[in-house]
Amino acid sequence: MSTDLLDLADDSPEALLSLYESRGWGDGLPMVPPTTERVAAALAALGDVDPDEVIATLPPRFGEATRRVIAINAVLAGCPPECLPVLVSATRALARPELNLRGVNATTHPVAPLLIVSGEIVEQAGYNSGLGAFGPGNRANATTGRAIRLLLMHVAGAVPGPGDASTQGGPAKYAYCVAENLAATPWESYPASVGVDAPSAVTVHCGEAPHNFHDMESDDPGRILDKCASAMASLGQNNVVIAQGEYFVALGPEHAATIASHGWSRRDVTSYLFDRARLPAGAIRAQFESIAWEPWMYAVPDDGPMPMTGRADNIRVFVCGGAGKHSSVIPSWGMTKSVTLPVTP
Amino acid sequence: MKVYAPDGRIGRPPTPLAPSPPVLTALRIAVLDNGKPNARLLLTRAAEQLAARTGAAVTLVTDKGPGHNAATACSDQVLDRITKEVDLVLTGSAD
Repeated sequence: MSTDLLDLADDSPEALLSLYESRGWGDGLPMVPPTTERVAAALAALGDVDPDEVIATLPPRFGEATRRVIAINAVLAGCPPECLPVLVSATRALARPELNLRGVNATTHPVAPLLIVSGEIVEQAGYNSGLGAFGPGNRANATTGRAIRLLLMHVAGAVPGPGDASTQGGPAKYAYCVAENLAATPWESYPASVGVDAPSAVTVHCGEAPHNFHDMESDDPGRILDKCASAMASLGQNNVVIAQGEYFVALGPEHAATIASHGWSRRDVTSYLFDRARLPAGAIRAQFESIAWEPWMYAVPDDGPMPMTGRADNIRVFVCGGAGKHSSVIPSWGMTKSVTLPVTP
Repeated sequence: MKVYAPDGRIGRPPTPLAPSPPVLTALRIAVLDNGKPNARLLLTRAAEQLAARTGAAVTLVTDKGPGHNAATACSDQVLDRITKEVDLVLTGSAD
C-alpha cells in the first residue's frame, strides 16, 4: 500500500474540511471521510484486481492514480461503489497522449473533461441519461464528475494557480458527467460509432460547458441543425483557429427523433454541420495571428466560408436528455482529442 | 480515526533545473518561442538587452518545431539543437 493514513478528529464534514484545507486539498465542498472501511467497500466493486496497480500517471504533478487512490477520491466525492469501474476507465482515458492532459490542466482556458457514460453501466450504476442529464439531481452523474475533478486536483495537481491556470475557472470544473440516452438514440450508440464494441464504455471529451440551442417548431433537420451550426460558428471559441478541435453535439431526444425521421444518419448530421458551421476566412484572419489550421485551410480565400473544424469527423453526435426541444453543443479546448474506452475495472 | 490522503505517490520525480551560469559574458543565448502571441517579440527584445548588458550573444531564435503550438511540447529535434548550440535559453510559459 502506498497511500498515507492521517489522523482525523471525528467523522464530521467540518473535521475533514479543516484537515484537507490545511493541506491544500478539496474542491471547496463538503466531502465524505475516506476511511479504510469506505475505501475497501469501494474497491470491492472492482472485483479481484490489484488495488495498488498504477492505472495512470497524471500531469502536471505526475501523481500515480492507482485503483486505491481513485477509490479514495471517489469516496470523498460521495460516489457509489458501482461507479468505480467508470472512474478507473476514465482515468485510463485521461492518460492517453492524444488527450493532452498536461495542456488541459495547465491552460488558461476553462476546459474540463466531460465524461459520457454509455451502455449497460448506465442502468447498473444509476446514471441519469434522461431529463436533466447534465444535472443536478442524480448521485451517479454528480459524484462521478466530482470524483474525476478531485482526482485531477489531488493526483494530477490541477490546483488553481500552480497546476491549473484557468483565467476564470468554470462550473464544469466541479462535476461534468452525463450518460448517453441509448433508448432515445435513433442510431447506433456513440461508442459503436467510433469503433468501441463493449457492453459499457466511457468517453472523455475536454471542452467547454454546454452551449444550448433550441428549436421549438421545426419538422426539418436543416432548420434544427442551423441553430447548432450558429452556436458552433463563434469567433470566441478555440475551434476557430485550431482545426483538430472537436465539437460534441448533445442532441435532445426530440430533436434526434425529428432529424432521424427524415432518414438522416449520424454522418448526415455531422456533414451538414461541417458545411454550415462556417465563418468568412477573412473575418478569422482579421482577428487572429496564431492559427493552427490544416494545410488546405490556409488556401481558403478571405471571402470563402471556413469550417470551424478541419474535418466532419471532428463533429461528434450523441443523444441525452428528456422531453423538450433543447440540445447543446460542447466546443473543444482545441489541442486535445476525445477518447472512448470500454468500461473495465 | 484514520482517513486516507488523496494525492498518491509522485510517479516521476521533478527534473532539476540546470544551474545558472555565474557569468554570461561570451555565452550563447537562444530564444524559444512558446507560440503565444507576441512571445517571440518580447523574448527576443529581452534576450537582446540581456546580451547587450552582459557581453553574451543571441545566436538562435526558434519555435518549438513541427506543429508549433503553445499547448504542445517542444520537439526533440529543437531540444537537441538547443542543447548542442547554446548555453542559455529564454522561453515563456502559458500567456
